[in-house]
Amino acid sequence: MIKYVLNEIGNVAIYGLMSLCLFFAFFSVMLIWAFLLRKGYLETMSELPLNDEFSGREMKER
Amino acid sequence: MNTETIHYDNKVVRNFAVATVIWGFIGMAAGMLAAVQLFFPAANLDLSYTTFGRLRPLHTNAVIFAFVGNGMFMGIYYSLQRLCKSRMFSDGLSAFNFWGWNAIIVAAAVTLPLGLTTSKEYAELEWPIDIAIAVVWVAFTVNLIGTILKRREKHMYVAVWFYIATAVTVAVLHITNSMAMPAGIFKSYSMYAGVQDALVQWWYGHNAVAFFLTTPYLGLMYYFLPKAANRPVFSYRLSIIHFWALIFIYIWAGPHHLLYSALPDWAQSLGMVFSLMLIAPSWGGMLNGLLTLRGAWNKLREEPMLKFMVAALTAYGMATLEGPLLSIKSVNALSHFTDWTIAHVHTGALGWNGFLTFSLLYWLVPRLYQTRLHSLKMANMHFWIGVMGIMFYVVPMYWSGITQGLMWKQFTEDGFMQYPNFLETVTQLFPMYRLRAIGGTLYIVGVVIMMVNLYKTAKAGKFLANQPAQVPAKVPVAEEAAKQSWHRVLEGRPFLFTVLSLVAILIGGLVEIIPMYLIKENVPTISSIKPYTPLEVLGRDLYIREGCVGCHSQMIRPFRSETERYGEYSKSGEYVYDHPFLWGSKRTGPDLHRIGGKYPDAWHYEHMRDPSTTSPGSIMPAYPWLLSDELEMSSLPARIKALIKVGVPYEEGLEERAQAEASAQAEMIRVSLEEAGFESEADREIIALIAYLQRLGTDIKQTAEVSASVEDYE
Repeated sequence: MIKYVLNEIGNVAIYGLMSLCLFFAFFSVMLIWAFLLRKGYLETMSELPLNDEFSGREMKER
Repeated sequence: MNTETIHYDNKVVRNFAVATVIWGFIGMAAGMLAAVQLFFPAANLDLSYTTFGRLRPLHTNAVIFAFVGNGMFMGIYYSLQRLCKSRMFSDGLSAFNFWGWNAIIVAAAVTLPLGLTTSKEYAELEWPIDIAIAVVWVAFTVNLIGTILKRREKHMYVAVWFYIATAVTVAVLHITNSMAMPAGIFKSYSMYAGVQDALVQWWYGHNAVAFFLTTPYLGLMYYFLPKAANRPVFSYRLSIIHFWALIFIYIWAGPHHLLYSALPDWAQSLGMVFSLMLIAPSWGGMLNGLLTLRGAWNKLREEPMLKFMVAALTAYGMATLEGPLLSIKSVNALSHFTDWTIAHVHTGALGWNGFLTFSLLYWLVPRLYQTRLHSLKMANMHFWIGVMGIMFYVVPMYWSGITQGLMWKQFTEDGFMQYPNFLETVTQLFPMYRLRAIGGTLYIVGVVIMMVNLYKTAKAGKFLANQPAQVPAKVPVAEEAAKQSWHRVLEGRPFLFTVLSLVAILIGGLVEIIPMYLIKENVPTISSIKPYTPLEVLGRDLYIREGCVGCHSQMIRPFRSETERYGEYSKSGEYVYDHPFLWGSKRTGPDLHRIGGKYPDAWHYEHMRDPSTTSPGSIMPAYPWLLSDELEMSSLPARIKALIKVGVPYEEGLEERAQAEASAQAEMIRVSLEEAGFESEADREIIALIAYLQRLGTDIKQTAEVSASVEDYE
């Protein structure tokens, strides 16, 4: 069956190859970038939901 | 720092909250009624509007688009304003979003029971409503992007990325899958046919789960969980990887809904592999959420919201482990078409979406009304009743799915089918169906307790429609962000971010869908396959109207257990004129792809009048109105014209002859019924339906040359 598909779909190799390259490139760039992010930046970002008013802490104080 | 006072719009959040609760109750009640019909068919109240086939889409649409949809808007409108430190871009658009969306839901609640449906799962609404959905969705997207553009917070938190991906992807999915040719104000034919329609539909269907039920809720989790736990998310780095990996991989996995179908093998394998990969980002996200609570688990005792959130995340983890496992072809061979799928989706719907929505409601309503929750005790009671409800729902459905799957495949020692009568494999499941109804009841009781609790909370408090907040005075956010590192540049430019998300989700869709259209060999033609006759077209449209596809597949998989039971397995070339495809996804009744010619016309007549006469013990509803209602033929020319436009090769001028041809074929069926002792007029709906059923799957048997072309295919 696989042989049939490969023979019959003219340029199927292009699609497989294209997918693999795209996939590899996408994840490489994303992972490298994610691991290069600075700690200070990550901390600022993760604090964002906590910095608007009405946070859990304030509610408790009421 | 210079600050200024603005006001957050709480009114739109409150409106969505009310709609969430009300539609949630209605959607679940519809599900209950449908569930009871499976062991007590009389529960369809003998009305065409409440038969299972019409009720099922009503239930699925109500819980997905009305309950979760409103819940999603509620959470997004609340969190987005605060994360952007800005009121929504336009109050007008917010109101339009709310009223427009809920008007669409009302339209769905009216049209689906009337049988106005495209039959494509979770995309059943007809074309005028589809256009309305697109318009409202665009309004939401403009409001979302506009708010992000005018934000006073330099950074774009990860939750906002999830919202952007949701807005963009749902638009792409909805528009692509809904492409259809109108044949009247409430009737249309899908632009795509057969295998291609199936691929587009499940690319949509799967990603509706991904980008309507998952990504917005993950965004909400990333906002509300840290907020309620009062600590930042476990790893922000992981949340970034979670986001990009999830949206990139999810879009490829759609074909796992079509394993062992007539879809080309390469597409099936692609879907399976990407589904397995999905475990990684899904579990990454779940663990990121659960680990946020490390060292703070004691908070679960005081805050019911967290309890619901943790249970929701756990259900998410279970469902996203199970999904990839079900996508393995050999597992799917057993699970597909059975209640196992129903168990799987309800782990997600009741556990993940339901509990996360409840979590948000318990957290938001007291804050919107500036008070405390009326009763913690009731919230805890809701939690435990809800958990019991899920258990009583899901466990019997696993049991039932596996039981039925095994019974279908069981052969005796001599090589015969152990359970040749399909009905035997259904009656076996009644105890499980009853237990499931208990589970559903418990879950709804929990919801009612929540409704009372939230109502009393609101009653005791005072609603704050416009909540004042101190935000930094206007700074040119984009300019400042442009000086930063490149991902921060990305965050400074929501348009660019949106385009990149769009590219990420388009790649997978395009790699799958384009070859299916460009490469002819993907759908080998079979010369004896001919378009339906005018009468059969009308019959097929009745089949669609009654929602037969909700219980009957038209896809015989290439297994001995299926070819023995139903006949020759289904070929992709047999569906080239099927606009839309009707493969189905659940077999509560047997497959119908080779039903044509299996029984005489009179059998179908009697079976539709009262299924229990031909199949004692059947749970199929009776369709007496098909026997008494006159067949509507005046729209036939418009229907034929629309079918020609989507590519069915009818002879020129057929639309003018169509009514006469249909009447002639109807007369033949009437005569055959008369010979069998059944008196019927030729212009009744049942005649068209019989014509369609008797045609199903027969073309391939027509001539000797067919077998040659089928061999070519193999």
